[in-house]
Amino acid sequence: MNAVNTWNSTQHFWLIILGFIVAFIPRFFPLMLFTKRAIPEWFNEWMKFVPVSLFTALVVKDIFIDSASYALLLNKYSEMLAAVVVIIVAYRTRSMAISVIVGLIGVFILSMFMA
Amino acid sequence: MNKRRPNPKQVPDPNEPLWRSTLRVAMPLNLSYIPIGLACGILLHAAGFNTLLTGLVSLLIFSGGAQFLIATMLTINSPLLSIVLMLFFLELRYALLSSSLSPYLKGSSNRFLFMFAVSLNDENYAINYLKFATDKKWTGKEALMVEHYSLLFWAASNVVGSLIGSALKIDLSIVNFALTALFLYMIVMQIKNRLTIVICLISGVLAAACMMLTKSTLGLVISTIIASLIGFGLEATLRKKLPDSHWLWRLRSPGSKKEAVEHSDAN
Repeated sequence: MNAVNTWNSTQHFWLIILGFIVAFIPRFFPLMLFTKRAIPEWFNEWMKFVPVSLFTALVVKDIFIDSASYALLLNKYSEMLAAVVVIIVAYRTRSMAISVIVGLIGVFILSMFMA
Repeated sequence: MNKRRPNPKQVPDPNEPLWRSTLRVAMPLNLSYIPIGLACGILLHAAGFNTLLTGLVSLLIFSGGAQFLIATMLTINSPLLSIVLMLFFLELRYALLSSSLSPYLKGSSNRFLFMFAVSLNDENYAINYLKFATDKKWTGKEALMVEHYSLLFWAASNVVGSLIGSALKIDLSIVNFALTALFLYMIVMQIKNRLTIVICLISGVLAAACMMLTKSTLGLVISTIIASLIGFGLEATLRKKLPDSHWLWRLRSPGSKKEAVEHSDAN
């Protein structure tokens, strides 16, 4: 295997186990706690806004933030344009699969013209 | 995607077996997972993961974002502790997701909740949240089946991606956009009124600012908490002071329609 990284499989295995633990804790404990006792109304009203805030933050990270330096990037024009196309397609078709595939084809074609 | 299997009936067949009706709900997600899972498998292969471990990480962590992060951080030779810490901050958002699903899973056993938590992720959360909110007959059992279907497709696509990883040369930045497109789709499906759009804009600006300040994805957690609190505060204030405000009007958008999920696979 032509790996850029020097880790062996045992190290990868422990990374997976530790990753599982940190992934499991925030998924399980709130679920266990809040299915047993009542959630206050304000908490539900607050939670309504969580998904939309989180997904927007993730999109901004993907399009406007450099993944290594965390600096602001404003030159990923093909991704920006493809994002607008995906929004329109998602709004009109309401299909997850079509949105993703149109997005991939869009960013592929746009990056050929704008590279 | 479902053009091959036309479904002329508007009303779902009441005799349809459960495994098929839940598969129908999960299918758009399953199909979107194929390109993303393949991409993730290819990236993990490039980072040095073998095929067996790629399958294991897909089953145990089951998070596109986390697996992309592992691949990225391994290629820049980050130490174990810093990868696990980053994973923790990235996965912290699931605390918010699982709290918001908990009203629909009241009375479930701890064993069921364990199974549900293990296979919960962003995308099947979005589907299940919409179904729980709009379909009275949707229970934890159906939701868990949707989770398992998506887990199966995700893990299989990752393994196949890992196997073809050495054979295919793909521009990784393009493959990464599959995730972005998925999140954009979910945002569009969540937009209910003008206030939601305002919160999107606030969240976007906050996310950029917080990530630039913290220089990590911890900024995502901080900005999500702040933006959702602003949304909560704004809505409560508007409801109290200006109940007829046009900011609260429903938009003619997928998110404000009852059958958003049913329609999503009827194209």
